[in-house]
Amino acid sequence: MHNVCLTLLRRAIAPLAAALLIALPYGCARAPEQVYKTQFFTLGTVVDVSLWGVDNQRAADAVKTVENVLNEVHRRWHAWEPSELTRINAGLAAGQAVTISEDESQVLQQAKSLAEQSEELFNPAIGKLIGLWGFHSSDVPKGPPPPQADIDRLLAAQASMADLTIDATTIRSRNPAVEIDLGAVAKGYGVDLAIDALRKMGIRNAIVNAGGGLHAIGKHGNRPWRIGIREPTHASGIIASVNLRDDEAVHTSGNYERFYDYQGRRYHHIIDPRSGYPSSTAISATVIHRDGALADAAATAIMIAGPQKWTEVARRMGVSQVMMIGADKKVYMTPAMAQRIHFEISPAPEVVTSEPL
Amino acid sequence: MRRADYIVLIFALVLLPVLYGTYWTRSAPGQAVRIIDATGEETIVPLTQDRHLEIKGPLGVSVIEIHDGAVRFVSSPCSGKLCVHAGWLRNGNDFTACLPNRVSIAVVGGTEGYDSINF
Amino acid sequence: MRLTVDREDYLIAGLAALAIVIHIAESALPTPLPGAKPGLANVITVAALLLYGWRAAIWVSLLRVLVGSILIGSFLTPTFVLSLSGAIAAMTAIGLGYLLSARSLGPVGYSLLGAMAHMAGQFYAAYLLFIPHPALFRLLPVLMTLAVGFGLLSGLIVNAMMPRLQAYVARERAPGG
Repeated sequence: MHNVCLTLLRRAIAPLAAALLIALPYGCARAPEQVYKTQFFTLGTVVDVSLWGVDNQRAADAVKTVENVLNEVHRRWHAWEPSELTRINAGLAAGQAVTISEDESQVLQQAKSLAEQSEELFNPAIGKLIGLWGFHSSDVPKGPPPPQADIDRLLAAQASMADLTIDATTIRSRNPAVEIDLGAVAKGYGVDLAIDALRKMGIRNAIVNAGGGLHAIGKHGNRPWRIGIREPTHASGIIASVNLRDDEAVHTSGNYERFYDYQGRRYHHIIDPRSGYPSSTAISATVIHRDGALADAAATAIMIAGPQKWTEVARRMGVSQVMMIGADKKVYMTPAMAQRIHFEISPAPEVVTSEPL
Repeated sequence: MRRADYIVLIFALVLLPVLYGTYWTRSAPGQAVRIIDATGEETIVPLTQDRHLEIKGPLGVSVIEIHDGAVRFVSSPCSGKLCVHAGWLRNGNDFTACLPNRVSIAVVGGTEGYDSINF
Repeated sequence: MRLTVDREDYLIAGLAALAIVIHIAESALPTPLPGAKPGLANVITVAALLLYGWRAAIWVSLLRVLVGSILIGSFLTPTFVLSLSGAIAAMTAIGLGYLLSARSLGPVGYSLLGAMAHMAGQFYAAYLLFIPHPALFRLLPVLMTLAVGFGLLSGLIVNAMMPRLQAYVARERAPGG
């Protein structure tokens, strides 16, 4: 018995040794792909974090950090759930001078400055109008659209960030119609903060994507991070791709993100402050810039501006990498953007390239 | 054949399905091509637009063509031209390489090629 | 060290020549990984091992790769590196098999081990040195299938020829032969 076992064992050693040799390539198979990707839910949306070249433990810590940063932004700036912002808005509506922290002051001052640069097309002060259209809720509004009289009343009030006086510790409004809603810039701002936090942890290669708005640093190993830009009317869902350089944010405003249909018409959540109605001249606008809050606000303003005014707004806001899909289905781009965008649909759409900005 | 030979053969026959199970993915037309050159640098290029690419390697320039949703080596400075003879690559994970010039190309499918989607 | 050329050296040289011919011929065969070879020439290595011992087998292998690559013109090219890696891996696997299996392996067993290790060696070398591309692994199942197929085939060939080969060697070794 003993001998048979030994003999069998000896006979098995050769195949086992060969197995070792053959298994070697299999063993190194897992090495090349070191992207750590995870998703979680916060800020009312799905957040996607990609990390490259970070071991599992550090990656888990990093994701926790991102989660904390975004939850904090949610707690402070949520437009309708009880937050610091709703507290501030209540005080402003009552005509009071509201005490704010230095951080909050900086955020609000930046929002005010962006609004001014965008010729008030990005207008975070029209919270009441957005609420009127039913978009201050996590549920999809059911319609009908608000009565014209209500819209006119709010338009007449001309709520604007210019009505606000902001210093390091207080904020005050001279117009009770002002209700601040930072929805058009919160993602950009939050994602930038999250990336800063990751940098502080020593992480060099990452993407933080909150509900589609993202900021990337570093690369995917040997190649740049590759981003797909969504456009829901096409089968593959992706209209174009772009390779990001280190430290770039991409933000898109689109009429397909939040909307409702009522009696055959579609109403989406990007309200044109001039008309009081959802904007109608563009389907979406995409902006690439190092400053995510700026890119986010600019995307909103440019989408509202449409084919007639978009270059003017882009120039004033200081963004030069812009792609806008007009309601006419044409793609309007700056030359800087045209150089880096690769269309992923065939045939490629009609492109109108502007002058350099 | 001796008993030990059978052991080796059985091991070999068991290994094959394991390898297929691990590495063989279903084929479907791909969306982009992933090119890796001699320095290890990667580029991913969509297959939707016809294009010619020149990739430099230690021997010279390999020319890669994208046409009608497929990609191939048009020319390469190697002597064997096995890379060119591989012909058109169209489906996900289709792969060929010019070993002497250290250029490799593989078709990438679906959303594999994107690290993140912006919307 | 005194080098004496004996009968066995001629026979080994003859085997090596045969292996080289096969090596050159199989470079015409297409494989999914440009430059990799199915390893048919291993037939000769295995035969050499069983007839003349492992030193002879190593000589035949090395000669095959070196001379073969010089004749094809691929000396010191990536193809050469792949062939060499494959040959070393195959010899290691066959050698281990020889030493550890108490001589219970036959031609088929050695051929299979050699062919699989040969392919693994080539693949590993290609991945580490030339093409660090993850998609390369998709070729591994196909390459291994080729290896097992050709390994089995060459093993069965040697198996069938063994009686005659052994008779030939015995005659050569007989005094006065």
